Amino acid sequence: MGKLLRLIIPPKEWRTPVVILLGAILGLTLYALIESKAVSYLSDDPKTCVNCHVMTPQYTTWLNSSHREWATCNDCHVPHENIFKKYAFKAMDGLYHASVFTTRNEPEVIRMRDASEVVVHNNCIRCHQDQVVDTKLASTVSNHTANMTDRKCWDCHKEVPHGKIHSLSSVKYYGKVPEEHQETVPGWLKNYIEKLDTKSKE
Amino acid sequence: MSAKRKSWKNWVLFLASLVIVFLLGLLVSSITERKMEAKYAYTPVNKVKPGEPRNEKWGENFPREFESYYRTADSTFRSKYNGNASIDMLEVDPRLVVLWAGYGFSKDYMQGRGHVYAVEDIRNSLRTGGPTGKEDGPMPSTCWTCKSPDVPRIMNEHGVEEFYKGKWGKLGAEIVNPIGCADCHDSETMNLKITRPALIEAFERQGKDIKNATHNEMRSLVCAQCHVEYYFNKNIPGKEGTPYLVFPWDDGQTVEDMETYYDRIGHVDWIHKLSRAPMLKAQHPGYEVFKMGIHGQRGVSCADCHMPYKTEGGQKFTDHHIQSPLNNVANSCQVCHREEKDVLTKNVYDNQDRIIGNRNQLERLLVRAHVEAKQCWDLGATEVQMKNILHGIRLGQWRWDYAAASHGGSFHAPVELGRVIGKGIDITQETRIKLAKLLMTLGFEGDVPYPPIETKAAAQKFIGLPMEKLKKEKAEFIKNVIPKWDEEAKQREANY
Repeated sequence: MGKLLRLIIPPKEWRTPVVILLGAILGLTLYALIESKAVSYLSDDPKTCVNCHVMTPQYTTWLNSSHREWATCNDCHVPHENIFKKYAFKAMDGLYHASVFTTRNEPEVIRMRDASEVVVHNNCIRCHQDQVVDTKLASTVSNHTANMTDRKCWDCHKEVPHGKIHSLSSVKYYGKVPEEHQETVPGWLKNYIEKLDTKSKE
Repeated sequence: MSAKRKSWKNWVLFLASLVIVFLLGLLVSSITERKMEAKYAYTPVNKVKPGEPRNEKWGENFPREFESYYRTADSTFRSKYNGNASIDMLEVDPRLVVLWAGYGFSKDYMQGRGHVYAVEDIRNSLRTGGPTGKEDGPMPSTCWTCKSPDVPRIMNEHGVEEFYKGKWGKLGAEIVNPIGCADCHDSETMNLKITRPALIEAFERQGKDIKNATHNEMRSLVCAQCHVEYYFNKNIPGKEGTPYLVFPWDDGQTVEDMETYYDRIGHVDWIHKLSRAPMLKAQHPGYEVFKMGIHGQRGVSCADCHMPYKTEGGQKFTDHHIQSPLNNVANSCQVCHREEKDVLTKNVYDNQDRIIGNRNQLERLLVRAHVEAKQCWDLGATEVQMKNILHGIRLGQWRWDYAAASHGGSFHAPVELGRVIGKGIDITQETRIKLAKLLMTLGFEGDVPYPPIETKAAAQKFIGLPMEKLKKEKAEFIKNVIPKWDEEAKQREANY
C-alpha cells in the first residue's frame, strides 16, 4: 500500500500542476454525471430510457400501448429475481448502451441481445403466469402449449407492446415525449376569459 | 521517497492525467452535443407562426396530416342518408321549406361537404345573401365563427366582441382559409387547443374548467367548438346588440334542458311566416347527442371513429381525412367490433331507417300544424286563442329539429332520438287537437288541405320566396364582391 501511494503522490515541485489536473478531472466527471442525468439511471422511470433520443421509437410505441398502464421499461427489460441481479444487469446493459451511443454505432433498428431476450421472456411469464397455465387457452388456441415451450412469446404476439415497426426513421414528430400537462386554451383567449370573469365579479 | 523518483516517471504520470482530462472533455462535449441532437431530431423543419391561418404552411412540416386533411375535398361518398356529397336537402325533402318558412334555411340547404369547402360553401349559400359592401346582407359577422382558422386570428387582433359585431360582409376579405390546423392545434407544441370562446364560456357557466380537460376529452372537445347547439344572444349585459355566440348548456344538454333555458330567457330564433309561431332553430347538437349514446357513455372520442389512426410507410399517424366512418369501417368500427363490414353498416342503416320513419311522420304533422294555424289566423283568430297552440308548434318543431340537425344522431344515440321524436309527435298532435277545436269555433268545416309541396320549387313558391331575386343577388355577389375579397386577402397574406 505504502509503495502504491509513493508511486502516486507527486514530489513537492509537481504538486501545483497535479492539483489543477485533479480538479479538472473531478469537475469534468461531475459535469458529465449531471449532464448525462446519471442519477436517473437508478430509477424505474421510463423517461430515463429516452435520455438518449435513439430510444424514442421504443418509448412512444410503449406509451401508445396497453402495457403503459401496467409495466415500465424495467418491469420487462431487467431481471427481477433479486435486487443485485437487477442492478448488475442494468449496469451491464447501460454501459453497453452508453458505449454504443457514444461511438455512434446505434443501428437503425434496435434489437434485443440474447441475454436480454431471456430476461424479457421470464418477465412475460412473471406477470402472465395465469395465461401460461390457462387450460382454456391451451385447448382453444391451436398448438398453444407446444408453441409456448419452444418459442418466445413475441414470436407470435409480434405487436406486443412496441408494434411491428420501430425503426429510428419510423418516428418523426411523434418522437416528442409528451409533457405531463397540456395547455388547452391559447394565451390570448385565456386572457380574454379572465378579463370577462373579473368584469362579471365587479 | 517520491522526491527520489526519476523525472521521466513524473512526466509520464502528468501526461497520462492530461490524456484523462482530454478524454473526459471529449465525453462531456459528446453528451452535450447528442442532447442537442435530441432537441432537434424531432423538431419540425419550418417555423409555424403562432396562429398561422394558412393550412399549407403547417402542411410543410406535417405532410401526412395535411395530405389526409386535404382529402376532405373528396365529395364522392354517399351513405344512405348523408355522406360528404353535395345533396340538395330541400329537393330531397321539400317539407323542410315549409317548416323553415321565414328563416334562411328555406332558401337553400345543401348537405355539408368536407372541411376544406367551409369558406367556399358559406360564400355560395343563398342564406348569406348578396352583400354589396361591409354593412348590408342578411347575416351577422358571427356566422363566420366556425368557418376558418382566420377566426381566432381576427379575434386575437380585433377582440372577441368586435369580431361578432356587424354584418357578415365585414370580414369577407379577412376570412379566406377553410377550417384547418390552427382551429384545433397549437402552432408550437401541436397539442390540441380550444380556440373558440363560446365553448370555454359554456364550460365556465356550468362551473367546469376546460383547462383541466384530459387529452382524450380534448379529442372530442375540439369538435365541440362547432358541432353543437348554439344561438346568438343580443341581450348580454354590456354587449347589447352584438349577436354574441352562446351555447345553451346552462341547464344541461337534453332537448328539455335547452328548451327550459330558451323559454326562460324568452329566446326566439324567428317568427314562422305561416303560423307566426315563435320558433327555435336547432343548429347541430351533434356533440350533445353523441354524449348521450353508448359510444359517448363509454368514453369513445369523436376522433376515434372520424379520424382513426393509420400507417403510411411505417409511420403511425392520425388520419386527418375527417369523414363518415361508414366510408372507413375497417379503421373505425372494426378496430373494436369483429363483425363483417356489411353487417356493421346494416346495423347503422337499420337504426337510421327506424328513426327517420318517425321523424318523417313528425315532419308531416308539423307541416299540417303550420298551415292549420295559418288558416286560423285567416279566419280571424285572436292572439289569446293562438298562444298555447303556437307554443306547442314551437316545442314540437324544436324536437324535430333537435333530432334532424344532430347529424348522425340516429347512430350516436338512437334511443334518445327515438324518445325525442316520440315526444315531439305527442306534443304536435295535442297541438293539432287544439287547432281542430279552434277551427270549429271559428266556423271552419272539413280538413285544411295539405299544401302542394311536391318539389322544392313548389314549396318555395307556396311560402312566397322570391327565388329569382335571391339567385340574382347571389350571382352578382359572386361576380363582383368575391374577387375583391380574394384580392385583398392575397395582398395581406403576401406580407405575412
